[in-house]
Amino acid sequence: MSRRDRGLVLALLFGGVARNWRKPWSRSSEVVDLSLYADLARKAEAAKIHTLFLADTVPSDGTPEPSFEPVTLLSALAPLTERIGLIPSISTTFTEPYNLARQVASLDRLSGGRGGWNLVTSAWGGEQFGKELPAHDDRYAIADEFAGVVKALWDTWAPDAIVADPRRNLFVDPAKVRRADWVSEHFSVRGPLNVPPSPQGRPIIAQAGSSEAGKVIGGRHADVIFTTGQTEFEPSRQVYDDIKRHAVAAGRAAGDVKILPGVGPVIGSTDAEARRIWADSHELLNYERARASLATQFAGVDFSGYDLDAPVPAHLLPDETVVQGRRSRYGVVKRLVDSGELRTVRDVILYHASAAGHWFPIGSAEHVADQLQERYEGGAADGFALLPFFLNYPAGLAALTDGLIPELQRRGIFHTDYEHETLRGNLGLAPYVPARPPSTVKEGS
Amino acid sequence: MPSDSSPLAPGQRVRGGEQLVLAVLIGGVGNHIGAWRRPGSRIEEKYSLSLFKDLAGWAEAAKLHAVFLADGLRLDLDTVKGQPFSGLEPVTLLSALSAVTEHIGLIGSISSTFSEPYNVARQLASLDHLSNGRAGWNLVTSAYGEENFGRELPNHDDRYQLAAEFAEAIRALWDTWGTDAIKIDREHGVYADASKVRYADFKSEHFSIRGPLNVARPPQGYPIIAQAGSSDAGQNVAARYADLVFTTGRTSDEDSLAFYRSLKSHVVAAGRPASDVKILPGISPIIGQTETEAKAIERELNGYIDFDASRARLSRQLGGAVLDDLELDEPIPAGRLPAYEAVEGRRSRYGVYLGLIAEGWTLRRLIEWEVSSSGHYVPVGDSEQIADLLLRRFEQGSADGYILLPSFVPEGFQLITDALVPILQERGAFQREYAGTTLRENLGLSNVAA
Repeated sequence: MSRRDRGLVLALLFGGVARNWRKPWSRSSEVVDLSLYADLARKAEAAKIHTLFLADTVPSDGTPEPSFEPVTLLSALAPLTERIGLIPSISTTFTEPYNLARQVASLDRLSGGRGGWNLVTSAWGGEQFGKELPAHDDRYAIADEFAGVVKALWDTWAPDAIVADPRRNLFVDPAKVRRADWVSEHFSVRGPLNVPPSPQGRPIIAQAGSSEAGKVIGGRHADVIFTTGQTEFEPSRQVYDDIKRHAVAAGRAAGDVKILPGVGPVIGSTDAEARRIWADSHELLNYERARASLATQFAGVDFSGYDLDAPVPAHLLPDETVVQGRRSRYGVVKRLVDSGELRTVRDVILYHASAAGHWFPIGSAEHVADQLQERYEGGAADGFALLPFFLNYPAGLAALTDGLIPELQRRGIFHTDYEHETLRGNLGLAPYVPARPPSTVKEGS
Repeated sequence: MPSDSSPLAPGQRVRGGEQLVLAVLIGGVGNHIGAWRRPGSRIEEKYSLSLFKDLAGWAEAAKLHAVFLADGLRLDLDTVKGQPFSGLEPVTLLSALSAVTEHIGLIGSISSTFSEPYNVARQLASLDHLSNGRAGWNLVTSAYGEENFGRELPNHDDRYQLAAEFAEAIRALWDTWGTDAIKIDREHGVYADASKVRYADFKSEHFSIRGPLNVARPPQGYPIIAQAGSSDAGQNVAARYADLVFTTGRTSDEDSLAFYRSLKSHVVAAGRPASDVKILPGISPIIGQTETEAKAIERELNGYIDFDASRARLSRQLGGAVLDDLELDEPIPAGRLPAYEAVEGRRSRYGVYLGLIAEGWTLRRLIEWEVSSSGHYVPVGDSEQIADLLLRRFEQGSADGYILLPSFVPEGFQLITDALVPILQERGAFQREYAGTTLRENLGLSNVAA
């Protein structure tokens, strides 16, 4: 197909050792050791994966899994990598926009233009900040304003504002820096930002909520959208079209937004081996912790007291629209129950703990590549967010970097090298120039 | 030695063999406003990791205890025209440096006025893990920047009250993980011992935080806490929470000694041994290969000053005093100056300036002082002379070490690491190797166990 000139985008969700930590080959004892993540990042970079992104994880089976904080970890990886993108998730609910804009801009400078921000709204955690968690729609209203503030702060600098001419004693051309003067319902931020302009015009904004409110925000603000990977092709294509429509409605070109469904491929040298790997990964699951995690993450869905092999108590599953936390993820599970694909309590817990609602094709590299290619060429994805649920590191990552990715390259849909210095360039996005030319500010001297 | 301060071991050399603690500011291309205009200043790398990687590497090769990054939450449009601003944010920059250094401490300023304790506790714990126990937090209160956070600036004393609660909250969050909570028991499926992870349930006037933190116990137990405010409220916070105190290096030995004694008595009053808190005055030396060269560099640097543009900067240090119409070579009339207690921002630094003004300093000299050092002591000389000065104050008992603020980069930085430090080592007053693994150990303090 003509669209597909090596333009497929791959992101790698970068997490801890997840549920395979009990396997002898797992490097779980290095969960707070930079060397593990440095290895993963370098291998991902060698495979030309466009970007790493870090979730703010709560482990899906309830195991207390300490991890690094995303901004600090990705900053540490900046000097250890050269081309791969670095996108931390940071909450719009419990952070100040000025602090966030600064840290991301700083990460972007430190990495020579590879920084980004995955805009998340936090579905829990109010008790750590002495406040009530705002309701779902309020969180997205705040997030929308928040993204506006952050973009306004990043736009306070013209790209050529720093002159640094010692003879004229002119360091910054004051006509090329301006205030943001942002005032909205929740935020009042004057600016300018105290970090110089981005090497890529502006750091990349990613976004992950696929609820209706999430799509509006993504369409308006995001360069990259991580969607919940649907098991079936058609719903996936509908979500894709819907988000592109939102982007166009927000006055942007459809190509300005890269849509990356989450996919956790389980790859073996044969389909049969892949199925064995999948079955094997269930072995050590702690169902009771996973059950507790389900209750925490989908507030109100409490299966405690039900036999694992009992049919799903459907009356416990509320309508999607009334769920306040992780609504779109919940919707996926609810639909799978309604359609009969998930029948027992065990099925739901396993599904939740395994893929957190994402798509997990199981098979050989060729077989999985077929499915990815179909979605990419069929207009259901611009690329994929690879999820490490089954990254039997190191073998699981190698299955992606040495199995799946060469297969995608052989088919001519994935790039064979980075062609740009910046993440924006490598993602195939248009160069960014600040929306409005900075107005002249009063010179104070 | 003041009688009420750190105990002296019997015997040898300076302070009984006790050695200096040295940290260095890595703000950019030099603490003097004119430093960026010197040929070879590396100003082109001011906002790139390459410069900071070199500075941290040089500091580590010299066995300095820590690098330090200051911070502010405002870009001042009145001063950026002729003066480089900080630019890179401390937590991100120090995290990047953690990956390219092995021994040196990494201390960054983070505001207790405009941040959330949970976020700060988390990032510091994460930095401590990334660096294997080398993280430090300079607990600052912000004297400006409120316009970027949509709120009023709390007044001076309220900011310090908030800072104290903030420090308590952060330590409570670090305490939510026991030292050995992570088990990685594959056989029994025990990842972490849940009985060693607990809620913080922290409540104070301004904060309510349940915990636990989602980062494991920092390798140091508590990352190092530094504190830089020297007002009475600042000294009280330092006495309760700080391991290190960065204070304005005074010009006179007497003032320096008076501050040291005052702070140590606050520490003792807070129930801690005086030696638990290391007092590090800021010194911004202009070092040359010879004294003559140092003086020539001072003249060169001062020759880069735009005096008219710098009046605004000095005015801010002086509580907004109007200076526009004053002659450069006249003293500042007392009537122009606000009362000490009326100054809400950077009060203790203002006190230092009031002292200089009382000595009859002219506006020109005050501006030179402000833009060379932001009020810190700026001795000028060759490395032997600077070493003499540092050791004299150390022996007098007015410093446990220093925070060095290089006036110009790279030569001024390398004269510290390659000329000054070896002299201090030869005199037995500075370490030749790092003493331990963590910053806390290197400072002669114990890691904090849960």
